[in-house]
Amino acid sequence: MKSNSKNVWVGQKDLTRDEAFIKEAQQEFTGSTSILDGLSNAEVSENVKGGRRDFLKFLGFGLGAATVAAGCDVPVKRALPYVVKPDEIVPGVATYYASSYVDAGDYVSIIVKTREGRPIKIEGNSLSDITKGGTSARAQAYVLGLYNTNRIKGPLSMDNGASMPTNWSALDKAVMSGFTGGKTAVLTSTIISPTLQKVVEDFGNKIGGVEVFTTDAVSYAGILDAAEQDFGQRIIPSYHFDKADVIVSFDADFLGTWVSPVEYTKAYSEGRKIKDVNKPSMSRHIQVESHMSITGSNADNRVLVKPSEQDAAIAYLASKIVGGVSVPGAINNKAKKVLDKVANELKAAAGKSIVVSGSNNPSNQRLANAINNALGNFGATIDLAHASMQRQGSDKQVDDLIAKINSGRITSLIVHDCNPVYASAKGEALAAAIAKVPNSVAVAYEINETSRLCKHIAPIHHGLESWGDAMPKRGHLSVIQPTIRPLFETRAAGTSFLTWSGNDLVKTAEQPYFEYMKQHWQEAVFANQTEMTSFQPFWDSALQDGVINVPVGDAPAYVGSVAGISGLTKPSSSDLEIKFYEPVALGNGQHASNPWLQEMPDPVTRTSWGNYLAVPVNFDGVRTFLGLNDLKDGDLAEVTIGDKTVTVPVLQQFGQMPGTVALALGHGRRDAGPVGSGVGVDVNDCCTVANGYTHYYNTNVAVSDSKGKEAHYSSVQYHHTYGVEGEDAKTGETINADEAALVTVSYGLVDQGFQGALTDRSVMYTTSVNELKEDLDRMLEKRAHAQHLNENQIYGGFDYQYENGHHWGMHVDLNACTGCGACTVACMAENNVPVVGKKEVSRHHEMTWLRIDRYYYGDAENPNVVYQPMMCQHCDNAPCENVCPVNATNHSSEGLNQMTYNRCIGTRYCANNCPYKVRRFNWLDYTTADIFPGNQPKIADEEIPFGADNLTRMVLNPDVTVRSRGVIEKCSFCVQRIQEGKLTAKLEGRRLRDADVRTACQTACPAGAITFGDMNDKGGQLNAKLASPLNYIALEEVNVRSSVTYTMKVNNRDDSFDAVS
Amino acid sequence: MIERMQARVLSIKHILTVCLFFVAALAAAQPSADSGKTLFKNYCAQCHAKNMKTNLTGPALGGVRERWDNEEDLYRWIRYSQAMVAEGHPRALELWDQWKPTVMTNFPDLTDDDIASLLLYIDGMYEGTYGVQAGVAVAAEQVSGVKKEPNKWLYIGLAALLGFLALLLSRIVNNLDKLAAAKEGRLVEDRTLLQTLTSKGMILFAVFALVILGGYTTVNRATNLGRQQGYQPDQPIHFSHATHAGLHKIECQYCHDGARRSKHSVIPATNTCMNCHTAIRYGSEYGTAELSKIYASIGYNPADGKYFENYDEMATDSIEMIFKTWMGEQLVANDDDVEFLGAEENRMVDKQWEGLVKSLTNEQKTDFRGPIEWVRIHNLPDHVYFNHAQHVSVGKVECQTCHGNVEEMDVVQQMSPLSMGWCINCHRQTEVDFDGNAYYTSYVNYQEEIDQKEREKVTVADIGGLECQKCHY
Repeated sequence: MKSNSKNVWVGQKDLTRDEAFIKEAQQEFTGSTSILDGLSNAEVSENVKGGRRDFLKFLGFGLGAATVAAGCDVPVKRALPYVVKPDEIVPGVATYYASSYVDAGDYVSIIVKTREGRPIKIEGNSLSDITKGGTSARAQAYVLGLYNTNRIKGPLSMDNGASMPTNWSALDKAVMSGFTGGKTAVLTSTIISPTLQKVVEDFGNKIGGVEVFTTDAVSYAGILDAAEQDFGQRIIPSYHFDKADVIVSFDADFLGTWVSPVEYTKAYSEGRKIKDVNKPSMSRHIQVESHMSITGSNADNRVLVKPSEQDAAIAYLASKIVGGVSVPGAINNKAKKVLDKVANELKAAAGKSIVVSGSNNPSNQRLANAINNALGNFGATIDLAHASMQRQGSDKQVDDLIAKINSGRITSLIVHDCNPVYASAKGEALAAAIAKVPNSVAVAYEINETSRLCKHIAPIHHGLESWGDAMPKRGHLSVIQPTIRPLFETRAAGTSFLTWSGNDLVKTAEQPYFEYMKQHWQEAVFANQTEMTSFQPFWDSALQDGVINVPVGDAPAYVGSVAGISGLTKPSSSDLEIKFYEPVALGNGQHASNPWLQEMPDPVTRTSWGNYLAVPVNFDGVRTFLGLNDLKDGDLAEVTIGDKTVTVPVLQQFGQMPGTVALALGHGRRDAGPVGSGVGVDVNDCCTVANGYTHYYNTNVAVSDSKGKEAHYSSVQYHHTYGVEGEDAKTGETINADEAALVTVSYGLVDQGFQGALTDRSVMYTTSVNELKEDLDRMLEKRAHAQHLNENQIYGGFDYQYENGHHWGMHVDLNACTGCGACTVACMAENNVPVVGKKEVSRHHEMTWLRIDRYYYGDAENPNVVYQPMMCQHCDNAPCENVCPVNATNHSSEGLNQMTYNRCIGTRYCANNCPYKVRRFNWLDYTTADIFPGNQPKIADEEIPFGADNLTRMVLNPDVTVRSRGVIEKCSFCVQRIQEGKLTAKLEGRRLRDADVRTACQTACPAGAITFGDMNDKGGQLNAKLASPLNYIALEEVNVRSSVTYTMKVNNRDDSFDAVS
Repeated sequence: MIERMQARVLSIKHILTVCLFFVAALAAAQPSADSGKTLFKNYCAQCHAKNMKTNLTGPALGGVRERWDNEEDLYRWIRYSQAMVAEGHPRALELWDQWKPTVMTNFPDLTDDDIASLLLYIDGMYEGTYGVQAGVAVAAEQVSGVKKEPNKWLYIGLAALLGFLALLLSRIVNNLDKLAAAKEGRLVEDRTLLQTLTSKGMILFAVFALVILGGYTTVNRATNLGRQQGYQPDQPIHFSHATHAGLHKIECQYCHDGARRSKHSVIPATNTCMNCHTAIRYGSEYGTAELSKIYASIGYNPADGKYFENYDEMATDSIEMIFKTWMGEQLVANDDDVEFLGAEENRMVDKQWEGLVKSLTNEQKTDFRGPIEWVRIHNLPDHVYFNHAQHVSVGKVECQTCHGNVEEMDVVQQMSPLSMGWCINCHRQTEVDFDGNAYYTSYVNYQEEIDQKEREKVTVADIGGLECQKCHY
């Protein structure tokens, strides 16, 4: 059954007019507004005792305290100057360093903002040819990792999991005595640093016969081993999505997690922006998958196949394009017919298409290579010369290591920067093996499941404290330079290896690894280039730019063929299959101890703090959408996978294929410190292993009925929705905007918008390339109507006020936005937005200034998705300002909706009156800015609230006030950056330029979706964007004169795909 | 404590200001040595010594009247000195030959009265008569109203007179009432004083007055909480701005180099001190006692003029030895009274070292090595964003406008209240240099109004200088 609608919805509840939801949505604040109601009885009694008498006592005490405080001397504040001030530091002015975010194979070229020698923010490096100034949520949260309270603070010796501090010389002595030639192994994550690779090589040569085993958090062994057979090298080809007209992805989440999402998003979004409305064109993107991934959510058409059908599906497509491929089994009929169409599209776009696969089966990947070869994509849209080195792990090597340890052939093991005991299907066997190794040392940043099993831990610097380099792709080198002196007694991984290989630099140089790296660059990089003649300037310019391109060899040729490809999986006959996917924020658990990433809602499921079972939604043909087994959002279900049963909260996921469910990896870490331990469930051991390769699905799965409710269901999907109602013009009934917009499908019923009732709301406009003309006309008509209504008012416009000086505005291109969430985390970092924890999120108390609303539209069973970054719209006719009794929020002459925390008394009238629901209230003292500890009840059973300890506080932006309890806050358009940019222009005595002021979300965006600027600057970037006829203003009809403009979402959907049955 | 005392003084000042307003207005019309003093401080003190007897950058001013043939020329000289040199006035040329290349600043804005006041003050100081109480001709010349004593009595007298009148009137009214009552045949009892004082009206009045007074004080005190005008704490080093900025004329921004480019003016790093103090190793006031502190902080050996190697790892005892030896040597070399190091001198050296350690250490910092922990004087609350560069480089505001005449302070104190009202006032009054900075061309409306002569000036408030998020974010 279909429920096809042009309108948008956020979830099952608003599609079905869920009464409780509608009621809730009409209120700004859910449930009781007493903060104590949500706390358990124990917490309440702990925090609040007694009644009126106590109140009077407290009042008396308060007055007394105030009097005493007034009588006290103001505490003496000290000012410490430098002893010898470094030239590059001016206190109060930020210093920027080019560096790289490298986490195993994840790579982003970055600029690190430091204040008074302390890194506080990550920006993208636009000089990089790979990431081109884009960042990801993980890269943005990198800086918080530096101030991670769970990081190891000095060398440790371990005794059955218990740690004891030791010193470096003792550790080195103990470890080195155990290294024996031929019996020593290194287990490492992918090393993309050429220098570190050489150091490890040196170490191997010194000890003799050291074997290196590489593992990735999520295995890419399939694609690498396929490449070895087809290209003769273990590489990942370099995909140029901007050059492709047709993109077909078999379960490869290339916009979220797959290999190099920032690079791909940058390129992909180029092909998605509508440049000319009269001749609209954009790339076609078809995603073949079972669960709604962030990549699938951006696709034009999704082809639903079960996880076990993936091999058969790609084989079927290959048989149509390459020929000579035997399909291992039948796939579902609909997918089969659709793939016929896909094959035709691909053939028509030969040389201008890309087929990628996320499978970890090398045979599957070889088929993808064969298809790309047959289409002539190699050399055109796919570059093999600049191949990616970002994944190098091997599933076989892990098996090999376990076998060798078990047979006693390895007696010394160095575990470098990886956690396969958790992030591998073979974790248990590996754990048992590592425990047996007599001499084991973890070169690790945190104590995790793997490093805890080792006998010693040699803690490493954070990437922002250490020197390093990276070669994410051949021909592209990148530098890591320290931006702060190491905070703790840690040591660079390279220095540890140099020490253990007895390198002389350890004795002679203060920073041995740095000297080694410089030497290596001189010999290997400088020697191979011709641009510069002496090394020092070459080195300096590499450091300044952060990146350098070097010549590469010839591209390897495709030498494979489809003949002899075997080992394709036969589709399972199981009724239910489960897909395990890597979440955008946490990876496979590597970032579990990072509260920013834990709290960042998943782009698609919109859940935070834990993993949720995505179950398919069924439309009953009338008006009800049923989840699998009648499971509803927030129900707990028991999922039995093989012989393991886990209890997880459920989420009804639109676009989830019937007969499949999905669950995120990376959760349920057992050993990830106070933030990450025990959040969600771990399903790494539930993955299927076939021929030694880990496959991220399981066909042996059963899901129970509802087993109760999740106590703290922290999905933000229904938070801050536009719950508005009004009188229906025709029937006179009071109806909810959501219900009017959707199921009644009576668009004509309420098409006359009227002031004060938002039934004809204009939050989102969508269309497809083919219908662009008509839909655009319709939108323009609606806009004209709204504008006409807005003109007929008793209060005249005040627009002339903003002609003078600056008038700040923002443009968000919804066609470019992929929903990745980099802006959300960037905003938290820039504006000191607190993390509130799971319990508070479940109470709608998340503090994010910028949320990304995810709307579905189209076919309810296989919908399209649109993401809308929603922040304060800085209305020039702002409803929030009029209702503030203390004028704490008011308007500036530059069009900013100002929030003055010190005036705010917390009436929350403004939040109630905000049509966009972007104002956030500090219900508790999330940042411990208060001087009275009594204002800080425990939020998530943590000892102190997130970010309240002095280490984490180092990340705070000193230019932004840390808000205390009881005040409202919201997006300020990064006013601190505006002021800084204006000052720069004034100091240089010139007009303000676009580059002077760029908001945190704008610089973070890998897709270039956000443009900020001065609307009065006629030649500026913003005005160029504002000229597009696709633009609209959200809720234009309520006449708040918002300063943020969105573009109509255009997709390239082929509706004939749906007609197939 | 200081701030509250200040508040008290302030309120008294306010009352006095109001009282004195009328009389002071009269006084301003005539030349006086007192206004001469203010003028001297503002215009002349940078170059001319206050005692009028010693030469500084400019000559001693004592007896200046006698050195000029007629007063008109002297007045003109003060206003346009260089022009007179160019014209070839004999006395002007004489001065130029003696003092060149130093140029006397032109003061064209000074009125005749101003200059007369200045000369009165100069004479007074030179002759030692200024500030001496009674019986001096100069003092007699002053308008008596400027002096506070007679005024106070005048007002007390006035108040007493008015009080007396009020009493008299009430008596008259009372008596008339009584007469009227007697005429009507009623008998009215006299109220005793106690009865009057405890009457409803009196009590009501007292309560009302108390509430008003109490409320006024509470509000005033509350607004002043956390404000530190006049705050003048002791610093770890007896650093005198009067010596450095006043006497030696070191530019403020030579040391406070952040002021032009950062939000912070920046307390100079110890190595900035060393730019001069590698050469100047004996202070005029404190000898080695204070200078040794910066050497101990940074690790400089004043005895041989080199920085210590591995200063952080040196034993404290050996550093103490080196410093004490040097202090002793300097004492012998520089103090005329000391010929050799005796017990007394050794005690002095010990005391110097003790002082050094005491001022460079505290509970948190136990080692005298490392940064000098100055006491921060100008403190803004966390929710206030202030940027020096905006004011100093863009707004071209003089340091003294907010910080007062620091070049005259031996120990720096906070001159301005640093209250929001104080900020706002300045933003209301200060004119923006619209023509001098191309940034302001984006204010098209104002530019047009200026072009069409509809607008005289643009103040900081006009371009949004009073809006919340200019300083609070």
